[in-house]
Amino acid sequence: MTLRTTTRRSTLAAGAAAFAGLAMPAVLRAQPAGIKLGLIHPVTGPLAFSGNQCRIGGQMAIKDVNEAGGIKAMGGAKLEALLGDAQLKPELAASLVDQFAEAGAAGFTGCYASSLGLAATQAAAKYELPFSIDSGVADSLTSRGLANTFRLFPSASVCVNGAVDELEGLNKQAGGPVKTAVLVHENSEFGTTTANTLKEKLPGIGIKVLDVMAHATPTRDFTNVVLRIKEQKPDLVIISDYLNEYVLLIRTMVQQRVPSGIFSVFGGGFSLKFAKEQNEISEGVLDFNNWWNTKAPETAAFRKRLDAAGVATTYEVFFGYYAVKLLADAFERAGSADKKKVIPALAASTFYPDMLPYNPTKFANGQNEGAQGVGLQVQHADVKVVWPEKFADAKAVFPRAKG
Amino acid sequence: MLRYWPILAVVAALLPFASSSQFLVNLAMLTAFSALLGQGWNIACGFGGLTSFGHAVFFGIGAYAVAIMQTRFGINPWLGLPAAAILGAAAGAVLGAAAFRAGLRGSYFALVTLAFAEVFRILANSLDITKGGLGILIPLHPSLPNFQFADRRGAYALVLVLLAVAMGIAAWLRRSRFGARLVAVRENEDAAAALGIPLVRTKTQALALSGAVTATAGVLYAQMFLYVDPNIAFGAERSVEMLLVAMIGGAGTVWGPVLGAIVLHLIQDTARMLIDTPGFAPMLYGAILLAIIAFLPNGIAGLRLPRRRSAREEVRRA
Repeated sequence: MTLRTTTRRSTLAAGAAAFAGLAMPAVLRAQPAGIKLGLIHPVTGPLAFSGNQCRIGGQMAIKDVNEAGGIKAMGGAKLEALLGDAQLKPELAASLVDQFAEAGAAGFTGCYASSLGLAATQAAAKYELPFSIDSGVADSLTSRGLANTFRLFPSASVCVNGAVDELEGLNKQAGGPVKTAVLVHENSEFGTTTANTLKEKLPGIGIKVLDVMAHATPTRDFTNVVLRIKEQKPDLVIISDYLNEYVLLIRTMVQQRVPSGIFSVFGGGFSLKFAKEQNEISEGVLDFNNWWNTKAPETAAFRKRLDAAGVATTYEVFFGYYAVKLLADAFERAGSADKKKVIPALAASTFYPDMLPYNPTKFANGQNEGAQGVGLQVQHADVKVVWPEKFADAKAVFPRAKG
Repeated sequence: MLRYWPILAVVAALLPFASSSQFLVNLAMLTAFSALLGQGWNIACGFGGLTSFGHAVFFGIGAYAVAIMQTRFGINPWLGLPAAAILGAAAGAVLGAAAFRAGLRGSYFALVTLAFAEVFRILANSLDITKGGLGILIPLHPSLPNFQFADRRGAYALVLVLLAVAMGIAAWLRRSRFGARLVAVRENEDAAAALGIPLVRTKTQALALSGAVTATAGVLYAQMFLYVDPNIAFGAERSVEMLLVAMIGGAGTVWGPVLGAIVLHLIQDTARMLIDTPGFAPMLYGAILLAIIAFLPNGIAGLRLPRRRSAREEVRRA
C-alpha cells in the first residue's frame, strides 16, 4: 500500500517535473529576442529640430508596436531602438550603419537629410539590411537600384509635379489670374531641383517665369531680392526655402508691400506655428508640402498625444512614425527579421499609413507610388488642406489677397 | 621602448585588417583619413607657417575632379587620383603665386584662403558642370577596377598608403634643403629673405605640394561616399577639421597629424557611442579640445617624455 501510494506520488511528481520541463521552453519562447532597429538622424547641428522630430516619431512607433504585443508572427518580439546622431556628416551616417549592423540591427530608418540618406542607404546595402527612409526627398535615394532601400513617402519630383498640378487647377478655377511668376530658392540640392523643375513646367500651364533668384543659406537680408521682385511685378512669387529664410523672405515681402500672391513648394517655415504665431504675414500663403490627413479619425488622437508630450506637430513626426511601422509590418508579414525575407516583404508591401493623405501603397523600385504631397493654405491662423479635393478640408483662396 | 613607437603605430594601423568588424575598420579608416587631411594642411601650414583657413578648396577640387571625370566623361576613377593631385597642385600654385606676390601673410593670407574656398563653393553651387546645388552622385558599382570597395578594408588600405606617402613627404621636408628653407621662412621671413631664400617661390611650392596631397583626400572621399555637393566639398567644417587635427597633434611634425587624428576620433567616437543625450558628445568634444589647446600649445607631439642621455651626451655635458 505504502509502496503504491509512494509510486502514485512519485508518478505525480515525475509528471509535474516533466510538465514543468516541457513548459519551460514555452515560457522561454514567450520572451523572444528583441528586434533592433537603427534610427539615424541629425539630432545636433543645423537640422537638429527636424531630425529630432523624425526620431520622436520613430520612438513613438516602437512604443506602439511593443504595447500592442510586439511582432506577433515572431511570438511577440519587441522592437528596440538604436539611436544615432549623424549630425550633418555623411561619413558619420555610414559609420553609424556599420556600428548598428554589428550590434545586430535588423533594419534602419532615417536620415531626414538626403545627403545623409545617400551615404547611409549605401552602407546598409553592403549588409543587405532593409532601410526605410523617413524624410529625405531626393529622387536619387530610390533611383540608384539599391534593393534594400524603401521610401513610403513622396520624392521631390512627385511633390513638384503635384504642386504644378495644383497651380494649374487653382488657376483655372479662379479664371486664370496668374500669368507670371518669379521663383526664389535656396541654392542647395533641394531648392535648386525644385526651382529647375518648376521653371521647366510652369510655361506648360500658361505661367511665364520672369526670373529665378537663388540665394545662399543662411541669408539674413532679403531687401534686394524683394526689391527685384517688386520691380518685375509678378502675379505670383514661388518660394523653395529652409525655415529661417522662408519666414524672413515672406516678412520682407509683406513689409515692402509686394502685391503678388505667395506660393511655396516645400516651404521650410510653413507650419502650424507659422500660421498661428506669425499670422500677420502668413495669412493666405499657399504651400505644397508633406502633411498629414486631417480627415483621418486617428490623426486627432495622435496630435493629442503629441500635444500632451509637448512635441510640435510636424509632418516629420508622422514620417518617422510610419517609417518604423512600415518595417514592423514587413517583420510581421515575413514572420521573421531575416533580411532575406524582410526585403521581399517590403517590396510587396501594401502597408497604408492611415494618417497620411496618400493613395493605396504600391512599391516600385523602392518608391511608394501612392505617396503624394498636398496643397495647403493658412486660413484664419490655421493650416488647411486645399488640394487635392479628396483630402481637402477647406477651399483655396487663390491667389493670395493683394496687400 | 619609446624609440619603437613608430613600429607599434604601424602594427596598430594594420590590426584592423585582422578584424571582421566593418565598424572598427571604418573607425580606423576615418581616423587615417583625418590624419591624411591634417598632413595635407601640415605640409604647407605646419612646416611653412602659412595660415590657411580654406584648405577645403583643395579637398573639394579633388572630390569634384574625380566625380566629374567619371560621371561626365566616363574616365576611370583611378586616373582621377593623379589628375586631382595635379589640379590640387595647380590650384595651390595659383593661389600661392597670387597671394604671396601681393605680399599677403598671416591673418591676411588666412582670409584669402577662406575667401578662395567660399568662391569655389559658390561656383560649385552655380555651374552646370558641378550640377549646382544638386551635387554629383557617383553610380554605385563596387569593384576594385571601379575604385569602389565592397569591404571597407580595401578603402582603409588605400587611405593608409596615401597617408604613408604624405608622411613620407613630411619626413622628406624635415631632412631636405627645401624643407629647411621652408622652416626658415616659417621662423622669420625677413631673415630667410636676407639669406637669399626666394620667399614667394618657396611658399608657393609648399602650397602646391600641400594642395596635391589634400586633393587626393578629396578623391578618396568621393569614392568612399559616392556623393559630392558644394557644402561637403568646400564647406568650412572640412578646413577646420584639417587644421585641428594638425594643431592638436603637433603642427610641423611628421607624426603630429596622426596623433591628432587618433585623439580627436577617440574623443569624438567614444563620446558618441557612450552618451546618448543629443548635443552632449559635441560639447564634451569641445571642452576636451579647449583643454588640449590650453595645456599643450605645441600639440601632443610636443609632449615628450624625458629622454635617457647617451654616454656621449653625458661626456659632453660634463
